[in-house]
Amino acid sequence: MTTGAIISTIVIWVIFLGGLGFCISRIGRGGEWED
Amino acid sequence: MAEVTRERWTSRAPFIFAAIGSAIGLGNVWRFPYITYEYGGGTFLIPYVIGLLVLGIPWMIMEFGMGRYFQKGAPGAFEGIGKKWEWLGWWPVWVAFLIVTYYTVVIAWSLRYAISSATVAWGMGQAGAEAAGDFFFGTVLQLSDGPTVLGPPVWLILGLLAFVWLVIFLIMFRGARVIGRVSIGLVILPWLLLIVLFVRGVTLPGALDGLNFYLAPDFAVLGDVEVWFAAFSQIAFTLSLGMAGMVAYGSFIARKADVNNSAIITSFSDSATAFFAGFAVFSTVGFIMQAMNIPIGEVSASGLGLAFVTYPVAVSMMPGGNALVGILFFLCLFFLGTTSAYFLAYGGVAVPLMDKFGWSRVKATLIVTIVSFLVGILYTTQGGLYWLDMVDRMAAFYGLLITGAIACLVIGWGFGPAKLREHNNETSDIRMGAWWDWFIRIIVPLGLIFVVIWGGFKTDLAEQYGGYEVGALGGSDIVWLLLGVTLIFSILLSLIKTKTAGGGE
Repeated sequence: MTTGAIISTIVIWVIFLGGLGFCISRIGRGGEWED
Repeated sequence: MAEVTRERWTSRAPFIFAAIGSAIGLGNVWRFPYITYEYGGGTFLIPYVIGLLVLGIPWMIMEFGMGRYFQKGAPGAFEGIGKKWEWLGWWPVWVAFLIVTYYTVVIAWSLRYAISSATVAWGMGQAGAEAAGDFFFGTVLQLSDGPTVLGPPVWLILGLLAFVWLVIFLIMFRGARVIGRVSIGLVILPWLLLIVLFVRGVTLPGALDGLNFYLAPDFAVLGDVEVWFAAFSQIAFTLSLGMAGMVAYGSFIARKADVNNSAIITSFSDSATAFFAGFAVFSTVGFIMQAMNIPIGEVSASGLGLAFVTYPVAVSMMPGGNALVGILFFLCLFFLGTTSAYFLAYGGVAVPLMDKFGWSRVKATLIVTIVSFLVGILYTTQGGLYWLDMVDRMAAFYGLLITGAIACLVIGWGFGPAKLREHNNETSDIRMGAWWDWFIRIIVPLGLIFVVIWGGFKTDLAEQYGGYEVGALGGSDIVWLLLGVTLIFSILLSLIKTKTAGGGE
């Protein structure tokens, strides 16, 4: 793979997985799942 | 709001997986990778991520929030804003209904190919690769010369369509509790299959060349409006918004449960799935380029062409495990499609009917199943593909974009987004600031209208969509006729008195 393709891959995974990781780390700070 | 007994997700995981299942679908595999390649490779992800943050996530939070606030599906939610807006809730119900009638046929094709893959029925090696196109259009679809030449149904596809609807009915007739549990399995399974297909793809000769085409950045494209249109349109289509279903799914969220974080997790999961699917697809594209010694332009395709022609070519040319790879790929499409299909059928159509007419869940889901199956027979005929294409243009392009834009404007300037934001923030893991209000008021509707104008009016006014002719009508006329008829039906439905304050149980 070219350097550009490798950098694109890394950056995009960092964004998607970083975003998911941040959201998952926040789970439980808000509401409850039972009425 | 009247206190009513509403069905509920049993916990966060079933809800999140059901929502992810609705969002990830065939488009993640057959549209996203090609568009990424076509519009700048890795650079395309810049407008895509911006679109996700400014358009997709705020819109999803709005739909989930509307459902939870009003404890109703889309028509009931808009009725809650004002009786005069109820029609705006019914219009996306028609969009969902029309989409699910043909989407299930595509799932039936996937099953047909899973079966045919066992013997690689279109042929092995170079001869099979060259016959893949004829196999799809000639043998599987038995495609006629035009939309007015319907012919009889293709009986095998019709039988598989009946099976698909049986599966959907068995999942949805018991409501959110079963949908949530089933969705966990039906989302994880295609993820596992994609991993297998990824490993197979990247171990094929030529795979890295394909991945370079998929990901190599080209920053010059950022100045091209077409690239921003492609990114925003992909965001608009991929999250299953504007189809009424997410409002219904939101209405099953417990009153104290999170909305915002769940919407963000769903959106990122959908994007990550699409991005990963691109590795499986483009590594295979690279293999075809090398195996058949042809340039990328002759291999890469999106939509039906990628799934039912390009991928079978790869299966024919693979050095080993051909049948197994074919079966796994088409089963993956089957699972991806099924979670979206019962979302459309249940959240998009059945729940609004239950809310409106007080029907039991069994009655509503049975009626939706039977009527959708009967309409779907049209797409199993020899001229069905032409109609599928036109209805797809009406529902999955104009329908969801126009209803989505108007819905945002009504929430933004009529109901008041701050009210919805504060309602969501009270119980959410992540709080939205006042900026969210302006996204709903201006940014999201502008983004959707931009896609409609750039990808719709601009091209459809220049020439008839698809070049189809049905009597004196062209493809665009049929599309606009369908939009008009569904709008009128939506207004008529809104004039009927709502028979129940709740529904769902």
